[in-house]
Amino acid sequence: MSWYFRAIGFRKIFEFLLLVAFVVFFVGPLLNLAVLAFSSKWNYPDLLPRQWSLQWWHFVLQEDDIAKSIGLSFLIAALVTVLSIVICIPAAYAFARIRFPLSRFFLFSFLLTHAFPKMGLYVSIAVLFYKLGLMNTLLGVVLVHMINVLMFMTWIPTAAFRNVHTAQEESARDVGATPFRVFRSITLPMAMPGILVASIFTFLNSLDEAQGTFLVGIPDFKTMPIVMYSIIADFPSSAGAVFSIILTAPTIILLLAAQRLVSADIMASGFQVK
Amino acid sequence: MRKEAKMGIFGLCLVIPSFLLLSVIVITPIILSFFESLRNESGGYDLSRYVYLFTDEGMRANIVFTLQVTIVSCVIVLAVSYALAVYMRFSTGRLVDLIRKTYMIPIFIPGVIATYGLINLLGNHGWLSRWLLLFGGTLPRIIFDQKGIIIANLWFNIPFTTMLLSSALAGIPNAVIESAKDIGASRLRIFFRIIMPLSYKTFLVAVTFVFMGVIGSFTAPFLVGPNAPQMLGVSMEQVFSVFQEREQAAAISFFTFLLCSLLGYFYIRSMVKEETARP
Repeated sequence: MSWYFRAIGFRKIFEFLLLVAFVVFFVGPLLNLAVLAFSSKWNYPDLLPRQWSLQWWHFVLQEDDIAKSIGLSFLIAALVTVLSIVICIPAAYAFARIRFPLSRFFLFSFLLTHAFPKMGLYVSIAVLFYKLGLMNTLLGVVLVHMINVLMFMTWIPTAAFRNVHTAQEESARDVGATPFRVFRSITLPMAMPGILVASIFTFLNSLDEAQGTFLVGIPDFKTMPIVMYSIIADFPSSAGAVFSIILTAPTIILLLAAQRLVSADIMASGFQVK
Repeated sequence: MRKEAKMGIFGLCLVIPSFLLLSVIVITPIILSFFESLRNESGGYDLSRYVYLFTDEGMRANIVFTLQVTIVSCVIVLAVSYALAVYMRFSTGRLVDLIRKTYMIPIFIPGVIATYGLINLLGNHGWLSRWLLLFGGTLPRIIFDQKGIIIANLWFNIPFTTMLLSSALAGIPNAVIESAKDIGASRLRIFFRIIMPLSYKTFLVAVTFVFMGVIGSFTAPFLVGPNAPQMLGVSMEQVFSVFQEREQAAAISFFTFLLCSLLGYFYIRSMVKEETARP
């Protein structure tokens, strides 16, 4: 046997084993859900379901709660994305291009969103929202979702604006473009990939958010992950698997669409200053 | 001079809205919860809520349990991610390309879904145990155990950390490594003398985020963890909504905040240095 291994090279074998481990570990749980979603009878210790069917898809899609939660989740995610673009992009431009007092303090203040344990922060926010009357309101839920995204929604575009060469902006100024024109036709388009990645990440983050919504949005704002909590508890695992696929689909579709833009470099700039 | 002052004010105006939002949804609640955590049962202010953290047996067990999970997760995540990032940086081939294209997907998968998948896969009668049965093996207890929480943490954090480290490794010029090879440096030597020093800052960022993420995590330990001892995130939630003790919950979250801030200090210091070096 050993001559065979030597012939194809230990390196190849190592790589193959690595890939297998990688696939089993990361794909395994998702694949398991995919199989579960199309099964109707799958008893221990069968390796694969004895009967395949779409019955749980009918069941899940007919529940009123579920259809409503999908619409609500997308509405909230869209609001969060638009609002954070409006608030964070100007700030990112200022950090990248303008000298102003305390800029470093402001830039690093966003780190606070990730330094406090999320549950503790949500609990404190709930206390504050009670006083402000924001519990169980759309605004309250949107604000809670924005906590998670503020930092990278500011930092990724900051890095993107910084990467635009000032020489290009200056030469446009030299031929007589107004500052606004320079921003619109040169700076913004060149920083667009970073801004898009940050926006997609924000959108998905908001679709995924469960704990804060659970605390602040109960009982009226049941987003998809919240419904998922109760499905896990109340229904057979096949129903949970179907809903998992519905919840994961937007992620996969958006990622495929933005495949060329999403790079480690752009993403990493949301978590460190380079 | 006057123009500069004008620009300064313009810059401040662009930043103020996001900072106001930050003050309302993050800074104010943190300050509020700090004062809340100092209130004792009779309404006065002292440190009794914090003393309870270290005197109550169950709480102490929770703290030790949380630190164990956090440290073990951090060590494994960083070791695996570093290896994976180095491997992706310096290897070529179809397999590597495939990994390069797909390794970031788990970052975007909703946490509830991944945890649910792990429960189904690794549970008592889960898929993996059925496959192992074919070869006569049995699976140790993973779900509802410390191991389950650690595995879930690996699932969430390895792709993210690998992404951070890959971006740092991409910044190391090939020429540097090749010239080291030319003068006969071994692989290990190249790693410790060139790759490590050139990426340790990102390494620090990665440690900070994994540490903060694990120590404050809720979904995975809530769905996968044992009943006792618990991770602090779960126990915080329970103290708040089951026992209705807001002050005690605030004290727990402030305690985890202090644990994070130690690491956060080094992280911010290194970032500020970088920022100051900017022309």
